[in-house]
Amino acid sequence: MQLPSLLLSAAALLGTTVLASSAAHDRQSTTTTTTTLTLRIPASPPVLPNPHALPASTRATLTALGAARAAPLSAANTFVFRDVPAGSYLLDVHCPTVGVMPLRVDVGLRANGDRDGIGKGEAGLEVEVWETFRGGDWGNKGAVVPVSAGGADGGAVVFEARVVGGREYFMERSSFSVLSIFKNPIILLSMVSMALFFGMPKLVENMDPEMRAEWEERQKENPMNAVMGASTGQGVNPLGNFDMAGFLAGSSAKADEGSGGSGNGKGKGENRKKR
Amino acid sequence: MEMTESGEGRKDVLVLLEETEGETVLRRLNAEDGSVVWEFRETTRDVPLQVSTNVEKVFVVYLKGVSGAYNLKVAVLDTLTGKRMDEMVIGSRADVHGKDDVMFVGANSAAPVVAWTDDARQTLRVNVLGTKSRQEFPLPEGTVAVEIHAPHLVQSQPHFLVHSKTATGHRGEVFHVDLKTNIISKAYSLPLLAGPGSFSTSSDGANVYFTRITEDELILLSSQSHGILGRWPLKTGDSKAAAIHGVSEVIKKTGSQDSYAVRAAAVTDTDDWVLIRNGELAWTRPEGMTGGVAATFADIPESEDLARSLEQEAHINPLQAYIHRVRRHLNDLQYLPAYLDSLPIRIISSIRGTDTPSTDGKLVRDSFGFHKLVVLATKRGMIYGLDVGNSGRIVWRKRAFKIQKGSKWDVKGIQADESSGQVTILGANDDYVLLKTDTGEVVGAQAPGPDATTQSTAIVDTLSGPRLIRIGRDGTIGELPVYRAPTQSVVTRGAEGELKGVVFTPNGTTSYESTSWTFSPPQGQRIVNIATRPSHDAVASIGRVLGDRTVKYKYLNPNTLVLAAVNDATHALTVYLLDTVSGQLLSGAKYPGVDATKPIECAISENWFVCTFFGQYSLRDSPAQAIRGYQIVVSDLYESDEANSRGPLGDSPAFSSLEPIDAAAGGAALPSVVSQTYVLGAPVSALQVTQTRQGITSRQLLAYLPQSHGIAGIPRMLLEPRRPVGRDPTPAEAEEGLLRYHPAIEMDPKSVVTHEREVLGVERIIAAPAVVESTSLVFAYGVDVFGTRVAPSFLFDILGKGFNKVALVGTVVALGAGVLLLSPMVRKKQINMRWSASM
Repeated sequence: MQLPSLLLSAAALLGTTVLASSAAHDRQSTTTTTTTLTLRIPASPPVLPNPHALPASTRATLTALGAARAAPLSAANTFVFRDVPAGSYLLDVHCPTVGVMPLRVDVGLRANGDRDGIGKGEAGLEVEVWETFRGGDWGNKGAVVPVSAGGADGGAVVFEARVVGGREYFMERSSFSVLSIFKNPIILLSMVSMALFFGMPKLVENMDPEMRAEWEERQKENPMNAVMGASTGQGVNPLGNFDMAGFLAGSSAKADEGSGGSGNGKGKGENRKKR
Repeated sequence: MEMTESGEGRKDVLVLLEETEGETVLRRLNAEDGSVVWEFRETTRDVPLQVSTNVEKVFVVYLKGVSGAYNLKVAVLDTLTGKRMDEMVIGSRADVHGKDDVMFVGANSAAPVVAWTDDARQTLRVNVLGTKSRQEFPLPEGTVAVEIHAPHLVQSQPHFLVHSKTATGHRGEVFHVDLKTNIISKAYSLPLLAGPGSFSTSSDGANVYFTRITEDELILLSSQSHGILGRWPLKTGDSKAAAIHGVSEVIKKTGSQDSYAVRAAAVTDTDDWVLIRNGELAWTRPEGMTGGVAATFADIPESEDLARSLEQEAHINPLQAYIHRVRRHLNDLQYLPAYLDSLPIRIISSIRGTDTPSTDGKLVRDSFGFHKLVVLATKRGMIYGLDVGNSGRIVWRKRAFKIQKGSKWDVKGIQADESSGQVTILGANDDYVLLKTDTGEVVGAQAPGPDATTQSTAIVDTLSGPRLIRIGRDGTIGELPVYRAPTQSVVTRGAEGELKGVVFTPNGTTSYESTSWTFSPPQGQRIVNIATRPSHDAVASIGRVLGDRTVKYKYLNPNTLVLAAVNDATHALTVYLLDTVSGQLLSGAKYPGVDATKPIECAISENWFVCTFFGQYSLRDSPAQAIRGYQIVVSDLYESDEANSRGPLGDSPAFSSLEPIDAAAGGAALPSVVSQTYVLGAPVSALQVTQTRQGITSRQLLAYLPQSHGIAGIPRMLLEPRRPVGRDPTPAEAEEGLLRYHPAIEMDPKSVVTHEREVLGVERIIAAPAVVESTSLVFAYGVDVFGTRVAPSFLFDILGKGFNKVALVGTVVALGAGVLLLSPMVRKKQINMRWSASM
């Protein structure tokens, strides 16, 4: 029973020593003119509503000629780079699920200045951060990223990264559906004409006999009569009485056509008489 | 060097680091953010060994003295501040020979011990950390190795087990430590059992249990007495698991008095990782495949019987051949029922779009060429045969050599010989293994020698077919018999790192090597990467048809290599293109501001090569602009700057690197180089170009992304040096497929062939063509192993998985039904028409 309480007190004791020693550590690092950078991944609602969902393998790299630093993702969704000397760095976040805008980080390159968005790091090293464009001119700086002092250790600077989009590894495979066929305009057109082709004769048959007679009278006067007659399937197929032998023998085709047209009307009349 | 948790409310980590100049640092790191809590420096040139703690103190164990005669030195530190409290040297005689003799340094327990043996493994000396005395115990006769297992919990009883291995068996002895007097006494000993075995400890409060895994049993013991608490026969199936090292967890079942449940994870002698739950095999994992050092694709050897009988039929008279064939076909009838049996499964799986798994374990080639074997050699001396067409199923596994602890198998070359169905593996220390591709049966082997004699190996064409030859340390190959001597020139590295072209001239039955050319990079330059063409580099077309129907002819010299040399002082990278027959420099390009500490890699294929590096420089044509980032340079080689021109060679059917034609400019026919640089979104390494059978399919550049742990396939269409800069492509260029130049290439997640999987530590990627033209087989190894098929121009010659067979069959059936329904209607109509027409 005594052991846990003892441990607790030891931990409390430890906490105070940690603070003291980290302060000592900071004092030590001032002599080497380095600073600590902390990059935080904020919650960016449409793509990454909860930054704690980032995979554990996410890491950030700070690169320049002859310098390469990497930091793993911490439990607080930050990347901490310790003991960074003065220089101009490219900061990339490598994550399998989201894309993050690359940043340009200048450490200690400004002599003095107290513009907004400049955080004072340790040892008077000033930290400036901009968004940068990959493949673009290094001098072509993008939006200034606000830098604030603070972080885990005193004297460090914190700034936030901008999540620009999710990374989709898979393409949706187009699936077959019957509805997609009917959305095709050509199919729709042909279906309408099919409906006309089959539906018209039925309509005509179901008509009142007098109305039908009237309608047929009008049909006769119509110059499109022959064509309509063929399409409604009522009359004779224009090719039905096409005399191949006669055509080959050289008899007048025009005369045949004319008689075919008039004969058409007659045929209909006769049909009606029969009934 | 060693990590130990210190048992505090917040579990901090103690790390012992060995720095240069013999300085050692012990740091206590905050478990939450890794910051240093305190550090302890020791500047004496003692060999740091391990760090250990009990509840209130930290012990750092060093070896003090000269090599071969060490004493153990223990520094006692305060856990909270890291201040030195005490320091003691254990034992007066220098009786420790080296690091390997110290068996065990316990940690976190109530009484951590340090134990070491003499060189002959006859006595075991044990010291309880924090005291000065040591106790000696004799070891059993014939002991070759000793391991000590102790609990790692403060609450547990301070008992430990000495596991002594003899050549044929193993035994255990259990010791107890008296906490008040620090006296160690032997409690009981366990019998010698044949074969290798493992012990592991598990503690449940104060109780300490030892789990012993032998070849056929799992035995549970208590540290208190030698009574066996439980014993389970091992059911590991057909794979014989000989556990070497294990960890276990023991749970006492509530209710019943002496009923326990044990699960143990163990490493076996075949580098597998198994979990045994109450004697039953829960899972096994081929952990030995991590650390692949060489791999090659190999075709499944074709059934020799069929080839032989076909050959026989061709050579006898027609009647006999006919009878033979009929008999063979009758004989084949016995496979018909099995075939008919498998038909429904095959039809269903083909409709569902799943691959038919060949579960019967037979290795058969398929018509698409997807079924191939990969032979993978690992640094631990294991060789695996993997069936690529069957999701990487392990066909066979073989231990080539027993590799000493701490060293690794340095494999220099691997080659699969298709004609004999054998794989040759050459190691650096004069060792070789020759084994059968399909069964892994070792045909011949030679164990590694003490010295590394081999610089590299090369697959060369000889009079007796392609062969893997060994190249000595200073680039000499030595005399070879004529039939085994390479017929082309071989490029080797000389003693000073220069490149040498070596040719073989036959004299009688022996061929003698002679240097035909050497290439030394300029002063201050260091060769960092050399890329050669893949052995299978099919080219479908000798020219590129441009949008205006003119042709640019490709420079297709098969004897070229790309060399990257870096100057560390000026940070300049120079990329050379060399002719390997004459040593002629065909092209060179210099890039300033290149970081040599980051990976620089090249690849060459067809008529183009790429080189990737980290660059930070200002542009040559506008010095005000600077570029920074990981870059890739792609260069196309053409025969002439102009289209429709074949350059100085003209239409001549042959050319020689050694006797250049008399061009107007003089000298050799140099290629016309078109280059373009792109900035990559992430660093890439392990470059490889996809290979297809005919080379018609467009190519992809496969590259490992070390930061995001994936393998990307960058289409060659993107890496195109002829993309128009600063303007939109003209219609003619658009017809060619050229996009407007944009300097940045972000890694498109859809081009990542590993998808969301994380593949760690890929060292190399290999590619091989399948039978179908569209597909290239890809295999990556390193820490993780990954295999896939890529189709850079999509699957144009086989039906993809997306092809909906149900819809196809459904449509045909619906059409058929429609025709059947409509045909009586149509017939009736036609008959009616005839009748009415006749009127």
